[in-house]
Amino acid sequence: MSELQRGGTATDELAPPAGGLNGALLSVRNLQTHFFSREGVVKAVDGVSFDVKPGEILGIAGESGCGKSVTSQSILRILPRNGKIVGGEILFQNEDQTIDLATEDADGRVLRDIRGKDIAMIFQEPMTAFSPVHTVGDQIIETIRIHQEVSKEEAHDQAVEMLRRVGMPNPARNIDEYTFNLSGGMRQRAMVALSLSCRPKLLIADEPTTAVDVTIQAQMLELLRDIQADLGMAIIMITHDLGVIAELTDRVMIMYLGKEVEHGTVEDVFHRPQHPYTRGLLASIPKMEPGRVEIEPIEGVVPNPYALPTGCKFHTRCPDFIAGVCEKHDPPLTEVAKGHEVSCFLYGGRDRLE
Amino acid sequence: MTTTTRAENMNERTIISVRNLVKHFPIETGFLRRQVGVVKAVDNVNFDLNEGETLALVGESGCGKTTTSHCIIQAQRPTAGRVLFRIGDADPMDLTQMEKGELKEARRNIRMIYQDPYSSLNPRMTLLQIIGEPLVIHRIVKDQDDLQERVAELLRLVRLDPSTMNRYPHAFSGGQRQRIAIARALSLSPKVVIADEAVSALDVSVQAQILNLLKELQNQLGLTYLFVAHNLAVVKYEADRVAVMYAGKIVEIGETEALYTNPRHPYTEALISAAPNPDPDTKHRERIVLSGEVADPGNLPGGCAFHPRCRYAEDRCRQETPELIDVGGSETQSHQAACHFADSLELTGIAGPILREEGGSA
Repeated sequence: MSELQRGGTATDELAPPAGGLNGALLSVRNLQTHFFSREGVVKAVDGVSFDVKPGEILGIAGESGCGKSVTSQSILRILPRNGKIVGGEILFQNEDQTIDLATEDADGRVLRDIRGKDIAMIFQEPMTAFSPVHTVGDQIIETIRIHQEVSKEEAHDQAVEMLRRVGMPNPARNIDEYTFNLSGGMRQRAMVALSLSCRPKLLIADEPTTAVDVTIQAQMLELLRDIQADLGMAIIMITHDLGVIAELTDRVMIMYLGKEVEHGTVEDVFHRPQHPYTRGLLASIPKMEPGRVEIEPIEGVVPNPYALPTGCKFHTRCPDFIAGVCEKHDPPLTEVAKGHEVSCFLYGGRDRLE
Repeated sequence: MTTTTRAENMNERTIISVRNLVKHFPIETGFLRRQVGVVKAVDNVNFDLNEGETLALVGESGCGKTTTSHCIIQAQRPTAGRVLFRIGDADPMDLTQMEKGELKEARRNIRMIYQDPYSSLNPRMTLLQIIGEPLVIHRIVKDQDDLQERVAELLRLVRLDPSTMNRYPHAFSGGQRQRIAIARALSLSPKVVIADEAVSALDVSVQAQILNLLKELQNQLGLTYLFVAHNLAVVKYEADRVAVMYAGKIVEIGETEALYTNPRHPYTEALISAAPNPDPDTKHRERIVLSGEVADPGNLPGGCAFHPRCRYAEDRCRQETPELIDVGGSETQSHQAACHFADSLELTGIAGPILREEGGSA
């Protein structure tokens, strides 16, 4: 196959504007992102599809190595050097134009325009989003002026306004501070202000609350909820913490070893989990409920990414493993209820095998 | 071995008694390292660790929970206070007064497990060397065969395959490495294990395995745990009693279920409220979101250190530091809180599962 040709090199063909995305802002279709190293190929994302509608909050959850972060890095084309998109489409609806981010030049004009302006990202560690030798304000103003034609004074005012919106205690003063002078929680807020400074249509949040204390996490979640209601952008929330997903998102996609295992509204997925992996994950989390609530771990360990199991990737740890089926075939996505999809042979798909 | 001269009235069931523990770090500046202040990392902490129980120390970063555990094993020498440790019926010894050589016996009985099994295991040593090292240092094994036999037994204890003992840590996943760290900690048959954020770096499915393994080992070997953690749900599952720390002090301590369902300190209430629960019905619940951040232990506010973030704070809280006092609890299990208004405040703990039929806005 022409696997390597779709990598980081310039392909000048513009994606055909195939008449909108059915109202979606972003449509990821059969995305495959692989990593190439001396030890072999890691299929970090292996055929993932999902849509994000304007103004909705989608959660992507899973444990380390499931490909949730690689999915977000693929969208913004900020993959590490040895990571390549080898298949699929990442269609982004920008005004009346549909752009396939997967085939654009990662360093080209189109992506540089979109990054930071239409799609912004916040990270786990705010210090990595900022330069330590420039003030917070200078960095926000720079971002605004790259994407908008405004004067320095206007950009300054916009930056102060954004710092006020994210709840900085004294925006007029905070704007001239360096990040090392800010406390952890304030840095997080400054990073949100930076990412929202151009009013993006989509915000990708990659584990933004993982490194902070629980009281600061609560502040962050409240902030994201308020800002989303205020500015109306869509959010993709990437986290391993199902508590955060339940708290913040409308829909959730659960991933395991580069595959989508279950997808639906948070109510469907948390109250009526279908895939044995989703059920196992939910059963293994200690609950904040009165009385003794036992937890049940998922047996075994996540397989080595260089030697993935055949068939369903979860079959080696699955309590409902069907011999002769699960280790031989990839389970297709089956709709168990409207908008609730599961990739597991327990819910059908066997008739679709050859 | 040094025993304390004075008769210490330690509770019968108590194995470690921490008394008025204080650890201050100087803040130094400039070329002459002039001392300009002090970080009160641990500020007069008292608690008893009872035999066979799991006591959790919870709190946010900088609250002093890890420093407290380090002061217990004398990895850091406390500024003041005593750490009494008793083995069996022997007289209690005060670890803070003991020289390095004398501590060997105590340290054999108090072992630690750390958060990150990627940095706590030497990558150049095999499992046999890692787990066997304490056995060799303490001259417990006779020869190489004896060593291998004991290491194999320890690996079986933590559900790892003994045939892997000649492999290096890199061949194992995070959860397996934590099992190796546990096997090493248990190699000297300790009485007490201090687990410092031992499951924080693990994925949830693996975290559950380690939590259950720790419980099984406790039942099997009669271990006593000091469980240092920040995740309240994990602590609820694992601990019999909980001590909540804030800015170097214990602000509340009590039996787990009582503390979670009926918290008596506003900080405990806020922590419980802030912990995200994997149930979408609870997302409409009104949460207490504390403003501001954890107090800087190098520059503590006067009075109650929590008052700048406390929604119930009054003038008295800004001036007087509250003592840890009894707020009820049963005869065997006391419940204490350090809040001037512990008796009058009506605080909310964890609620029952929200009934879905009611639309979930409880």
